[in-house]
Amino acid sequence: MEDMMYELLFFLEVLFSGLLTGTLYSLVALGFVLIFKASGVFNFAQGAMMLFAALSLVGFQEMLGVHWTIAFVLTVALMVVVAWCIEKFVLGKLVNQEGIILFMATIGITFFLDGFGQTIWGSDIKTLDIGLPTGSIDLGGIFVDRLELVAGLTAAALVVSLAIFFNKTKIGRALRAVADDHQAAMSVGISLRTIWIIVWSVAGVVGLVAGIMWGSKLGVQFSLTLLALKALPVLMLGGFTSIPGAIIGGLIIGAGEKLAEIYIGPFVGGAIENWFAYMLAMAFLLVRPQGLFGEKIIERV
Amino acid sequence: MTYQDVKPGEVLLAVDNISLSFGAVRAISDVSFDINKGEIRAIIGPNGAGKTSMLNCINGFYHPQQGTITYKGQKRSAMKPYEAAAQGIARTFQNVALFKGMSTLDNIMTGRNLKMKSGIFSSMLWYGGAQKEELEHRRYVEDIIDFLEIQAIRKTPVGRLPYGLQKRVELGRALAAEPELLLLDEPMAGMNLEEKEDMCRFILDVNDEFGTTICLIEHDMGVVMDISDRVMVLDYGGKIGDGVPAEVRANQQVIDAYLGGGH
Repeated sequence: MEDMMYELLFFLEVLFSGLLTGTLYSLVALGFVLIFKASGVFNFAQGAMMLFAALSLVGFQEMLGVHWTIAFVLTVALMVVVAWCIEKFVLGKLVNQEGIILFMATIGITFFLDGFGQTIWGSDIKTLDIGLPTGSIDLGGIFVDRLELVAGLTAAALVVSLAIFFNKTKIGRALRAVADDHQAAMSVGISLRTIWIIVWSVAGVVGLVAGIMWGSKLGVQFSLTLLALKALPVLMLGGFTSIPGAIIGGLIIGAGEKLAEIYIGPFVGGAIENWFAYMLAMAFLLVRPQGLFGEKIIERV
Repeated sequence: MTYQDVKPGEVLLAVDNISLSFGAVRAISDVSFDINKGEIRAIIGPNGAGKTSMLNCINGFYHPQQGTITYKGQKRSAMKPYEAAAQGIARTFQNVALFKGMSTLDNIMTGRNLKMKSGIFSSMLWYGGAQKEELEHRRYVEDIIDFLEIQAIRKTPVGRLPYGLQKRVELGRALAAEPELLLLDEPMAGMNLEEKEDMCRFILDVNDEFGTTICLIEHDMGVVMDISDRVMVLDYGGKIGDGVPAEVRANQQVIDAYLGGGH
């Protein structure tokens, strides 16, 4: 009896920890979804934007010796400038090109941002400390990592505000309009340029938040960009066009890989966490290629 | 740029000698015509005659290589689509171009885009001013919905609507911008008789009640001759006829083009 109780608590602890890590995957995936929805571009640079934002935040803090809130505001401003430059010098020149060409362009942006960020701010591993709580708390017998809890709540708040922004405001409506039909959007006087700058800025800010959470956990370092790869299975699961999909996909992958590691790992020699997400995504591609919440594309012929 | 107010009956838009080609393909060659304020102006012609290209030039999707377009007394070169929209040119499309995932109401609300003044930040934060403005525009949109008799589908995602209703929603979105010049690209294509009659009535009412100038492309000759004040005929990118319906109907070149003779 005592043993079963302990087993159950342990299971819940693993599950909860997995779900909270999952929200962090969701945060990264969210940046992809935003840009994909509004411009149909698969933004390979999302991971690089996350690293660049986190590096800049730490950089501003160190260089100017200011409080993290001021550094945060400066970084947001910087991400808007980055968005403007991307529209002005890259995407703006490639209007009406094939999706694959835009995708290649975002790979270029990735290399540029990786290099540029490290040129300005240096390539050492930096600690990011904005006073987020550490250690764990006891929630009725389950120990939960404080940082993960904060990350989960932040992700939830971010998603709610993005949902309101997309559904209730004039700009949100314009974003959805652009996502649906470029020509029609232009004909009602929506400027594609403005919308793209806004959406890349928002993706930059989402990247910054994700970067803060991951940076606090792992330190700000180049390997953060690799986390963007983890966002791919999340997107395949949730669907590339769905914000709720990014969240649910992240939770499933986060919880799934932790549970698999603990309960299946011992039988196959461990390290399941490294490949579980991709296997799950592949299984999904075979059965439901549009993901859980993605739009099924039906062509009329 | 200064745009002048145009009185009814005066020239609202003048197209002078424009030519447009895509590589070696000539879509429009040396066409001139004008649209007077307050009239219903039709453009007809066989498939591939350059009718839609003409509308695309007028609202800034295409930029003709030669010739000029003068709108409200202002000659313009390469005008962008959103500038055209800002100057009161609204349009619908041949293959309905609606925002399929959005409701009828939201689709028509996008037409109010340029009328809404609140900036990015207030709109993002959804504070007092932006909210009040949203409600005001909502009222205007509800009037359009009443006018077009589509109350029943206000909340329906337009992707699910039958084609005839989609065309009506698209007209609603164009009207929401309170346009001075309304471009309709085959507003009645693919409709049954009853739907066509409804659409005719709406077009005439818009022209009558709001004094909106309309330029439309249509294949149904009965409809065109019925509702238009003047008709221009294009064939192989060139103009072969222009005038009141009776004149055009009697024009030998036009008859040949439509009966397939003369080429």
